[in-house]
Amino acid sequence: MNFSKTLASLAVASASLCGAAGYAVGQDNCPEVIKLGTTVSDSGAFSPLSAGWHEMIVAYAQKINDAGGVALSDCGSNASVELVVYDDQSNPATAVTLFEKMISEEGVDFLVGPDWSSLGLAVSSVAERHDIPVVMANVAAPNVYREGQTNVFGTPYPIVPLWSKRYFEMLETVEPKPTSIFFVVQDNPITNAISGFWTKQAEESSYSVVGTETFPSDLKDFTSIILKIRQAKPDIIYISSFDTASVPLVQQMRQLRVKAMDVHHVMLSGALANQVGEDVEGLSGEIGWINSIDNEESALAAEVMAEVGLDPFLSVFAIARYTPAVVMLQAIEMAGSVDRDKVRQMLRSATFEGPGGEIRFDHLGYPSETNGAFTIQIQDGNPEVVWPPELQTKPVAWPAPSWQ
Amino acid sequence: MNIPQNMISFGVAAVVSVLIACVPLFSSSYTVSLTMTLLLFFVLAQSWDWVGGELGYVNLSHFAFYGLGAYVFSIAYSNDLHPALSLFLAPIVTALIVSVISVPLFRLRGEYFAFATLALLPLFQILASNLKWLTKGSEGIILPAEQITETAFILMVALAFVTFVASTILVRSPFGLLIRSIRDDEEVAESIGVRILPRKIILMALSAAIAAIAGGIHGWYLSFIDPTTMFGLDVALVPIAMALLGGSALLWGPLVGVIVLVFMNQWLLTNISILHSAFYGLVILLVGRFLPGGLLRSQLLGKVKPLGFLTKEHHEHIVSAGTTIGGLSLSKREPDQDRVALECKNVTKRFGGNTALKDVSIRINEGEIVGLIGANGSGKTTLFNCISRILDLSEGAIVVYGDDIAHLRRDQIAHAGIGRSYQIPRSFERMTVRENITTALMASISPPDYANAKHEAARFAQYVGLADQVDVVVASLSPQKRKLLELARALATSPKILLVDEVASGLTSNEISEFVNHIRELRDVYGLTIIWVEHIFSALSQVVDRVVVLEQGSVIADGPLAEVLENENVQRSYFGAATGGEIEC
Amino acid sequence: MNSSIDLVTVAQLLINGTLLGGLYALIAFGLSVVYGVANILNFAHGTMLAIAAISGAVLYEKFGLPIPVILIILVSFGFVFGWIFYLTLLQPLEKREPHQRTVGMVLVAVGALIIMGDVTAVLAGAEQRVIRVSSTYFEIRGVIISGTQIGILVGAAVCMIALHIFLTRSWTGSSIRAVAQNTIGATICGIDSARTSATTFALGAGIVAVAGLMYIISYPLNPYSGFPLTVKAFSIILLGGIGNLTGTLLAGLALGIGEAVVAFTIGPQWAAAVSILIVLGCLLLFPGLTTSRREA
Repeated sequence: MNFSKTLASLAVASASLCGAAGYAVGQDNCPEVIKLGTTVSDSGAFSPLSAGWHEMIVAYAQKINDAGGVALSDCGSNASVELVVYDDQSNPATAVTLFEKMISEEGVDFLVGPDWSSLGLAVSSVAERHDIPVVMANVAAPNVYREGQTNVFGTPYPIVPLWSKRYFEMLETVEPKPTSIFFVVQDNPITNAISGFWTKQAEESSYSVVGTETFPSDLKDFTSIILKIRQAKPDIIYISSFDTASVPLVQQMRQLRVKAMDVHHVMLSGALANQVGEDVEGLSGEIGWINSIDNEESALAAEVMAEVGLDPFLSVFAIARYTPAVVMLQAIEMAGSVDRDKVRQMLRSATFEGPGGEIRFDHLGYPSETNGAFTIQIQDGNPEVVWPPELQTKPVAWPAPSWQ
Repeated sequence: MNIPQNMISFGVAAVVSVLIACVPLFSSSYTVSLTMTLLLFFVLAQSWDWVGGELGYVNLSHFAFYGLGAYVFSIAYSNDLHPALSLFLAPIVTALIVSVISVPLFRLRGEYFAFATLALLPLFQILASNLKWLTKGSEGIILPAEQITETAFILMVALAFVTFVASTILVRSPFGLLIRSIRDDEEVAESIGVRILPRKIILMALSAAIAAIAGGIHGWYLSFIDPTTMFGLDVALVPIAMALLGGSALLWGPLVGVIVLVFMNQWLLTNISILHSAFYGLVILLVGRFLPGGLLRSQLLGKVKPLGFLTKEHHEHIVSAGTTIGGLSLSKREPDQDRVALECKNVTKRFGGNTALKDVSIRINEGEIVGLIGANGSGKTTLFNCISRILDLSEGAIVVYGDDIAHLRRDQIAHAGIGRSYQIPRSFERMTVRENITTALMASISPPDYANAKHEAARFAQYVGLADQVDVVVASLSPQKRKLLELARALATSPKILLVDEVASGLTSNEISEFVNHIRELRDVYGLTIIWVEHIFSALSQVVDRVVVLEQGSVIADGPLAEVLENENVQRSYFGAATGGEIEC
Repeated sequence: MNSSIDLVTVAQLLINGTLLGGLYALIAFGLSVVYGVANILNFAHGTMLAIAAISGAVLYEKFGLPIPVILIILVSFGFVFGWIFYLTLLQPLEKREPHQRTVGMVLVAVGALIIMGDVTAVLAGAEQRVIRVSSTYFEIRGVIISGTQIGILVGAAVCMIALHIFLTRSWTGSSIRAVAQNTIGATICGIDSARTSATTFALGAGIVAVAGLMYIISYPLNPYSGFPLTVKAFSIILLGGIGNLTGTLLAGLALGIGEAVVAFTIGPQWAAAVSILIVLGCLLLFPGLTTSRREA
């Protein structure tokens, strides 16, 4: 009995050891195929946000290959791109295991993604440990980009310090001039960060902040908050929330006849518009990318998204998921090979052309100067770019229609 | 405890642990990561099973203790406490908090307990999100970026080893035995002298402490925690499903469940593009539907000989202690016939509109054998239930050796000397005859050595005629044998007053004679006072000193048997009319 | 935060809290009946609700069906689904001894909720959905109520009354209650307890379908929103008394109003904690509530 016990125990131990081997044995700097490893949240809590992204990035890689692949000048050849994609189930531990697998067993050259700060934090440690550059996607929390890391980069759109910059610029030009703002904030790291930063900016620009209410992500009944808004009578209602969480808020604001000069939503998306319907009319908001930007990458992005059936207004964070591969491949081309040190150097110092414009990373890997947003407004049911004036599709309607 | 057997188990476990600890040295970081997941879920599933499987309380908040531990560690560590100290604090603080909240929680039973614990998860999540000054709210706590994977891994291996060893010790110890008796029948366990609440709390605190350490280590490994990851509902039920899938209350159950589900999940993630969660759920569902009790209890597996040791129930692990010849371990003494053993003073018990006992007053001296008779529903068992405090009195008092039992807990009543058998046997179904009796022995104020107790238990079993069934699980015994077990178990509590509730029905006349002899011996040799509820007069008449007759909750006669039978009221109660003559039995 | 308490504000809070509470009660009804009668710990309850709700939303968007038609479709389908689910998966567990029965039920329910969430996400998409129903608004002295909200509250009350009548006046309803109180006795009287339990579970599923539709008309849902709703439903039936429909309604209302008041006075972040704390508080202060209806 004891012998079979021992035997079985050893079997159990061996079972957990199996699956070994697959060392990344040195790197061939001039491969025929560049392997990029990533995960997408196809299932789990964040999957509603990332619908269609898996197909999008695969389609992008296909387009690159169809156009001849990536030029490796040091090698005098072109290489095709292979994207290794797994589902991280919206779970950090799962993401870590999968990234480990891609690094050790599948020998990926570089990493792109994942999305979401909780996963980004875990995966950035993995990248650092293996000294492989990673360009993360929708990882917006600035404290993921930690001091001392050299491999971690990200392309969130927009970034917190630039989020409402153009909106406030626009506010300087409208008549009648708004003076008071009420902040309604979802209790989530990004939305908290946005409202924290822009509350300060607003106060410094002499707006009076007449209220701040924070709500949990799963709140359905906003009566108490709306009653407080009505009492405060602000000129601007600034909603710092993800689109889905604020659907009942917008609906109930209409119901309870809330009035303001403008209702501003930092993640105004097609998803919000669809669920809220006509009530979304007149809302102003921010968007990270519009397909009227005049550059090659933007045109390509528009093509890819159209191909997989993604509407950039519906899926407003898709562009941040799309961009990492763009940046990584550009960095490889600039480096001339898949030598990790050279590519890392490029990432640190070069300026990249993203669909939303230029992208540059600061010393923490954060695109602190470049990833801004465009101000939009829903007019007659359509999102119109109202600021900056050079990219305007329609002038802003002020005060916002239907909120009077 | 059988020392050599434990040494072998621990030795094997140590070797395996060392092997696993070496994994980072010669395999990829992917394997390390996967093994880490395995170890984490093993620790959570195994520690859950202590409360869920051994104690029988389905605790759905176990994952919250993991999260709590992670938070304590992270808060301490991010406030510049040394990681070792932070990791030490995690289980301490968690165990304290859990001990406090489990006092009120354990007032709940069964599904109520499960519901209440389920509610703790979102509560902790809300607290973690809102107490921003402490937990940094939804932003979460970010730990410094360091390379501590190997350290965290080794710590987790060590924790897994400790958890396994602790499980083995728990199962084989008297503490574990008493815990299982609580699981099988909490009321009865208490009434044979097991002090319930402290044991439940200790077990819960230990279980939570283990989960908390796992949380601390894992939080360190992930270098980031936030309310959703730590208290989110989507992963919370997974360790529980793993334990149940493998086989709850089996030594190897949780480990098997964890291995199966972790590997399956990994395989699904890397080989199937969609619906991997659905397949995962399907396996869980199919096991629940077709394999009662989990994988390790499936009949198919039972047929595979080499894996036999995996499927052993707890009582099969405990090496049979055999039966030795000898008398009962009760102390022999002369009864002091002038001492009042038990007195019921105006005892009244009402259930809503129904008065089950009306103003019952009885005095019983030490060494008396008193028969308690009456028609069905006259209140005999209710009286017994009042004496052992299964029920509380509406009015009046019951005094045992001068102490009013109203201020005694049930287990204290057992220690005061009340032992009883139940009319409808209430044995610990999932334990053997020997274990049932051993529980009673180990529940006493100064319990014997555990190994000796098991021998003693066999002698009690022999006394009542269950020598051949001593290692049989009670669930498979006939009702008659269970009644005998009741008696044996009651005797094992070293009672001074024995309440026997209808043991004789179903016995042959030879068996009845033997039983009567036992009763006489118990009084003559061991000085017990005995109250015996019985319908079979021929049994009573052989041994009782006097008889108390109840009718519809009131005492209608109290005296020697022959006298009582001539009582007109008694005759009316039994025959419908007074017979006006003598009755012979 | 300066928040003045005037009558209009209080009235608005109470009304909206009541409407939310009515919805909560509706969600809990199905669970109360199923658990109170068939003694089944259905962890998949909230997920079933989410699935029904999302199916309703898809029917509304893709096929433009009117709400009453969707209601009928969902209830019928829910009923059939519940019936089959019970007979194939849960009924066979009844033969087992109590411990293994509980294990089996937990595993089946957990497995089912994982499968249902995932399949729905794949078939209908994982994104959040809502049913937008245009509605008239009534304003009474500054307090605003929408026709839809009134409809839902009325619907919840009607549901409860209908259920009550069904359970007390009809043969099926009485046999359901008989089985709940004494399975063996009921069988002796000729009641097929398996079929009755299946009917109960199917009934619960039908009620869940109604609740789901009502919910998604009021608030958005995605396929993974289910389990938190299960927790809330458990809390409500615990508070109101398992199997006690009136109690469940009152408990739901109390919760809805309690959350609204807490959200206004302390802050919305603590609103959800209210339900949990009330439930835990009641359980601990009034242990009499938990006296099992099935004595040992």
